[in-house]
Amino acid sequence: MNNTGVYVCHCGGNISDVVNIPQVVEFAKRLPGVSIVRDIEHVCSDEGQKIIREDIAEQGINRVVIGSCTPGFHEKTFSDVLSSAGLNPYLLEIANLREQCSWVHFDNPDAATKKACDLIAMATSKVALNEALEARTVNIGNRVLVIGGGIAGIQASLDLANAGYRVSLVEQEPYIGGNMARLARTFPTEDCASCILAPKMADIMRHPNIDVYTYSDIANITGHVGNFEVTLHRHPRYVDEDRCTACGKCAEVCPVSVPDEFEFGMAERRAIYLPHANAVPRKYLIDKNACTECYQCEDACTAGAINHEQRPEDITIKGDCIIVATGYELFDAALKQNYGFGRYKNVVHAMHLERMIVPIGATKGRFIRVFSDKKEIKRIGIVQCVGARDEQVGRINCSRICCMYGIKHALFVKKKIPDADVYLFYTDVRAFGKGYEEYYKKAQEAGVKFIRGRVAEIYETEKGNPVIRAEDTLSHRLFELECDLVSLSASITPHKGSEKLAHLLRIQKDSEGFFLEAHPKYRPVDTRTDGVFLCGCAQGPKDIPDTVAQAGAAASRAMSLMGTGEITLSPIKAFVSQACDGCGVCVEHCPSSAISLNGNALINEMLCDGCGACISSCPQDALGIRHFTTEQIMAMVATLLQNKKGVRVVAFADKTTTYRVLDSAGQQRIQYPPDIYSIRVADASQITPKMILETFRLGADGVFLGEPEAGSGIHHPKTIEVMVENVKKAKKMLEDAGIEPERLDYGLYITVWAQKLAGQLKALEKRVGELGELPEERIARLMEVSQ
Amino acid sequence: MTTVLTLQDIAPDFVKEVIHQGSDVFGKDSMDTINDCIQCGMCSGGCPSGRHIALLTRELIRLTQLGLKQEVLASENMWYCTTCYLCQERCPRRVKTTDIIRVLRNLAVREGHLSEAHRKILEIFEKHGHAIPINEEVKAQRRRLALSEVPPTVQVSDEYLEEVRRLFTSSLLAEVIR
Repeated sequence: MNNTGVYVCHCGGNISDVVNIPQVVEFAKRLPGVSIVRDIEHVCSDEGQKIIREDIAEQGINRVVIGSCTPGFHEKTFSDVLSSAGLNPYLLEIANLREQCSWVHFDNPDAATKKACDLIAMATSKVALNEALEARTVNIGNRVLVIGGGIAGIQASLDLANAGYRVSLVEQEPYIGGNMARLARTFPTEDCASCILAPKMADIMRHPNIDVYTYSDIANITGHVGNFEVTLHRHPRYVDEDRCTACGKCAEVCPVSVPDEFEFGMAERRAIYLPHANAVPRKYLIDKNACTECYQCEDACTAGAINHEQRPEDITIKGDCIIVATGYELFDAALKQNYGFGRYKNVVHAMHLERMIVPIGATKGRFIRVFSDKKEIKRIGIVQCVGARDEQVGRINCSRICCMYGIKHALFVKKKIPDADVYLFYTDVRAFGKGYEEYYKKAQEAGVKFIRGRVAEIYETEKGNPVIRAEDTLSHRLFELECDLVSLSASITPHKGSEKLAHLLRIQKDSEGFFLEAHPKYRPVDTRTDGVFLCGCAQGPKDIPDTVAQAGAAASRAMSLMGTGEITLSPIKAFVSQACDGCGVCVEHCPSSAISLNGNALINEMLCDGCGACISSCPQDALGIRHFTTEQIMAMVATLLQNKKGVRVVAFADKTTTYRVLDSAGQQRIQYPPDIYSIRVADASQITPKMILETFRLGADGVFLGEPEAGSGIHHPKTIEVMVENVKKAKKMLEDAGIEPERLDYGLYITVWAQKLAGQLKALEKRVGELGELPEERIARLMEVSQ
Repeated sequence: MTTVLTLQDIAPDFVKEVIHQGSDVFGKDSMDTINDCIQCGMCSGGCPSGRHIALLTRELIRLTQLGLKQEVLASENMWYCTTCYLCQERCPRRVKTTDIIRVLRNLAVREGHLSEAHRKILEIFEKHGHAIPINEEVKAQRRRLALSEVPPTVQVSDEYLEEVRRLFTSSLLAEVIR
């Protein structure tokens, strides 16, 4: 038995100056199921809250309707009142009498009063159908999987481990340190990269809270926040890590030489090798593609560490959260064919030059023509923007780090060979970071010649010298510059494994293949998958300071999710009714991959974000969203349209954006006609063509759907597609019934577009007004069509 | 020489005019790319003609962006372009550089600017119906290949040639060369 209490707020005149409160109270008393109606100066005040609590305790009120300001303002306050009085907080409805009534219809008190009555009636009919819902709390552990052992992954792991979280750090290469391990110096301070990295790597290896898995690929990921299950594929090293002392005797006897990938082919290594001089872990491994299995290493190893029979191993590890720190690869400079990389021996890429700075690197710290005559260089051309700001290779954006590392390379050549000619060809010098412009000036002062022009092409002379063709756009002169060596400052591209990872983690990628954050401003390290965070160059090109900062941010986001040991799940999720026949159409439709099939459709409440995109896909109408069920929504529509007089336009407004835009119209006193009524829904994609038609059948003369604009980061972009598709279908059905499809419209919004939304609604209302009310016989035809 | 630009030098709608003029042939999307140029110099840096003569494609695009209509249309610069399309193929912002130059030439001709060399080509065309009429050497080559001495173009019949001339005279081209 429903005992609904209705409380109408004066809001200190905000409502009562326009709306005739006594009239609303009298109206509410006659509504079905309503046993108490009160008007209160401020329902939100302590006094107002006390009255509601007393009514619940003493008068047996078991459902509550409050006519007040927008639910966006005090819904939480009032649901806490219900909870504290022992009533389920979801047995509450708020009729928005301020933002969407008195503040927009202030010049028409009669219409506002009438509308206030309707809004109370609608809320009353919905609250009667509300279910008592429980927000579920689930336990979450403290295990984090960090994918990628470069500086980003290292920093995130240390931050987490130091705070007491358990970290599994997974790295594809046989060593940690990532690209930074290859760097000589870091701009603009020119500190030695390994001096920064080495202590951190040592911390990683001996930290009791960190397990390191090197030489391991991610084979599979299942599960969800709080319970990810990850299968690692560990490649065999053929060297027992526990026994190897890195004495190097094995490599001395190994007869096989192959190009050293760590030095980008500038040196050679053996088939059994230490990846590089400072490799962590400091353990040898065998490259089986190169190994001839002569077993000489086995004889040489006094520790008995060699095991040619080792097999790959699949291990399963668990994580409550995942941090993606997969870093970058250098852009393949050979794709810019006009620069001749790969064809001309004296055209190298930036990492070659970087390694030439390292005293223990392949060239022992000398700048030489490493792939030809090994002579020291006297003139070098450094070419910027290779694979960056270049739509010909699909990379419209700036790669952010190349200007500074190009300048660093120029400076180091000058430092080593003071009389060398150093020419740096640039499009724009982007010295945006702390100390960067100073560093640029330092290079100018050192005599580096900065040529403002993008290199058009490079050709080779008979002597094998590369010649740069470019215009110095500042002097309008054409360059034809013969160099000893050209270095291509290549951009950063996403790691090639990121495609698979995006799929496994259900996260999106941007147009250049970097992982997409949930929102560029307010959720910059989150992804659209709960419990998965991003940092470093996996998310986009960035320098080391930004990478370290972002890694800290990702660690801290993970910690704040796991900190209390439990997470609360909103009960507003999809549900499956008895009608489900297990056809499985919805599975594909869910943007969050939350539906699986086990006889019937099954909703994973950890993954479902309650968007409603699944609903219209179901041929059996078996899906719904709790607290915003089809039945509840249509009950409000029916209440509004019974005994209607004059035109009525129903606007289904998604709760996160469109409904707030309407509130914002109220706050700005932007007026629209009072015969437009909004109904708050979980997401406009939940309004199926059938519901739209039913709304017309019940007497609406116009229908509107509002949804957040794509990229607003609120819902999955797919919900927009679903909504637009639903509207299209409904328009077709309306046409078939002889009803003007222009009675139906939709819009996509961001919260500041109140003026636009009001304008669109006004236009729809006007159009509908001109078309007139829907005649009975067409409504009858509509019923036939919707069958 | 330093030139101080004032509003009198700038035709504010010049970019629009160029876009409008070229849209029929190259499409509006192609012409809109005038606005995308960031003056990186990749076009002029590799221009095969520009190495030998005064052509700076980048500069031509810049002056157009600025609306220096008279300077652009009167410039000899654009007539050096051989329309090889190398710059257009390379442009990192996908600016349709060569197409834009071709449209600028159209506008220049309307304003009475045409390079002497191009004018001469038109004269030859009026006379022979071909920019490069057939010569004895080609004729001999065709005979050796067992082809008809003259290919089946306007050159085989005075009647056809007359028709081409009629078309030529009725177009703007005839006015241009006089």
